[in-house]
Amino acid sequence: MREPTFPIDDREALLEAIRAGKARGVRLPRVDLSGCDLRGVDLSEARLSGANLSGADLSHANLRMAFLDEANLRGAQLCNADLEFAVLGGADLSEADFSGANLQRANLVGVVAHRAIFRGARMYYSRPGNADFRGALLERADIQRAIFRRANLAGANLRETTGSANFEKANLEGTVR
Amino acid sequence: MIFRHFMTSVNESNAFILACEETREAILIDVGAFEPEIEEFLREGRLRLAKVFITHDHYDHTNGLVEVRDKYRPEIYAGRALCAGVKAIRVDHGDTIPIGQLTGTVLDTSGHTPEARSLYVPGMVFTGDALFAGSVGGTASQAAAEQQLDLIRRHIFTLPPETEIHTGHGPSSTVAIESRYNPFFVGEA
Repeated sequence: MREPTFPIDDREALLEAIRAGKARGVRLPRVDLSGCDLRGVDLSEARLSGANLSGADLSHANLRMAFLDEANLRGAQLCNADLEFAVLGGADLSEADFSGANLQRANLVGVVAHRAIFRGARMYYSRPGNADFRGALLERADIQRAIFRRANLAGANLRETTGSANFEKANLEGTVR
Repeated sequence: MIFRHFMTSVNESNAFILACEETREAILIDVGAFEPEIEEFLREGRLRLAKVFITHDHYDHTNGLVEVRDKYRPEIYAGRALCAGVKAIRVDHGDTIPIGQLTGTVLDTSGHTPEARSLYVPGMVFTGDALFAGSVGGTASQAAAEQQLDLIRRHIFTLPPETEIHTGHGPSSTVAIESRYNPFFVGEA
């Protein structure tokens, strides 16, 4: 991983660098990119711990093995984004849209994902332990080998999910199956 | 510091390359299979693979060890003196391993196997199958399970909270995330 070679406190300069593909593997903790158009950008392996990405559009973005732990992704668009091996632990994903996203082997430990959308997402071998999925939509998601240990899925929609997941000690009250 | 993750074809185990930018000396952490991508990364980065660290002697973390030994003749470090039939330098808690200008410190995280070891380099720790994102490694007995949890609490969760945890299978994590949310440590009776 690398330190940034561009200013990160200047939002426009930062956006330009990201869109130019200069942010891959770069350390960008706690940056504020809320509401930004980041469709299709390459932020793979970037360190975005604690970043504010609320309301951002990251559809089709490459976030493979990015660190987004404790980031704010409330209401963000991540449709068809690639988040394989991404670290989202402790992040706020409430009302974010992960439809069709690749979340295989993603770290979702302790995330808050109230009413988030995971329709058709690939969540194979992901780690959503102790996460809060109340009211979330996981319809048609592939949850093979996902570990939902102690997760709260009250009221979540799990209709037509595929694969066998671990729901040990999870709250499945009122889930739709 | 140069860092790269690889997922091997043997039981989807992880392998990692860590290297010193100044000296180009590299260490390989676990080698379930010596994938062509690892060799390519070393070659393209002009890195010298001087060392291998084995977190524990299970085939999905050692299956490529003979090939790596024969190709690079690296020093091999592990919690036992013989790993997958290959001679190793036995390391214990607190031992240090120089990686160019970096220093790795060995941590005892036994439990999954009796001689399981983690490797800490400031900023990241490699835990093998002792600690996973949201989980821990399987053990052969209740006593081993308790030992593993105790050692993780004492040797991993006392590292700086932003320390990245790179595990033997599945995604990475951080000390902050696992100490706050890992269900084996939080909310268990």
